[in-house]
Amino acid sequence: MGPMKLVISGPVGAGKTTFVQTLSETEVVATEAEASEDIGKKYTTVAFDFGTINLDGQELLLYGTPGQDRFDFMWDVLCEGALGLTLLVAGDKPEDFPHARNILEFITSRNPVPFVVGVTRQDLPKVWTPEDVASYFDLPSEQVCGLNATDNDSSRKVLIRLLELQLSEQPAAAAGA
Amino acid sequence: MTSKQEQLERTLRDLRSTVPDVRGAMIASVDGLPIAQTFADNTDAGRMAAMAATALGLGKRINATLDTGDLSEMSVSGSAGQVYIYATGRKGVLAVVAPGGMNLGLLHMEARDTAGRVANIL
Repeated sequence: MGPMKLVISGPVGAGKTTFVQTLSETEVVATEAEASEDIGKKYTTVAFDFGTINLDGQELLLYGTPGQDRFDFMWDVLCEGALGLTLLVAGDKPEDFPHARNILEFITSRNPVPFVVGVTRQDLPKVWTPEDVASYFDLPSEQVCGLNATDNDSSRKVLIRLLELQLSEQPAAAAGA
Repeated sequence: MTSKQEQLERTLRDLRSTVPDVRGAMIASVDGLPIAQTFADNTDAGRMAAMAATALGLGKRINATLDTGDLSEMSVSGSAGQVYIYATGRKGVLAVVAPGGMNLGLLHMEARDTAGRVANIL
């Protein structure tokens, strides 16, 4: 199987750029610009982040999207040909969950790909657990993972979960492999 | 003392009066928010601002990857016109929409001058 394209999306400050930077084994192509509005950080992604990782022999191409709605055309552009989606939400920012759900619906309604929801900042003391977020999004618990986007192991586990879901959704392909 | 907004709008008006064939021009922040615009038609300035910022961000990375120096401008050409996206200092981006068959030499000269003025104001 050739390289597999995966998209990382979610609201501003969910940890998309950090996630790609933590996981990528090649130099990340990042397009960050100085933020001119108060979004809780100095820089924001305006085009995409691109990184690659080899997971058990499978080459994965990671494309992180911008988080603001005004860049929704990039969600479309980046999701073309994608085989999976990781939607990141910051576990300490429940006020962003409705926006995260809008992004998820925007992407999956146009391009129905397997997805997982990653709940970041699990290292913080007061944070939503993956179980809580699964019930908020009305998703099966195996489709939601907790992680710390700066931590390689927990970030890898999210991608592994996504690959497992993809295999279980394509039983014929799995049996043939 | 006029506000920054007025100064920026004036630079766009000056550009349009020296190069009247231009279909429209806008100034946006590097993170894609519209600052000033002179589109006569119903162009969605908010969307164009975000796209100009995306193009600028990508153009900068292409230059960095190819070791071709700092970005001055990038262009998108279609069968009925072109868009030129100019870097304007650290904070802004200038987008100029030109119809097909325009005098591009004059446009570049004037638009680069406008980009310099915008950079100073921002």
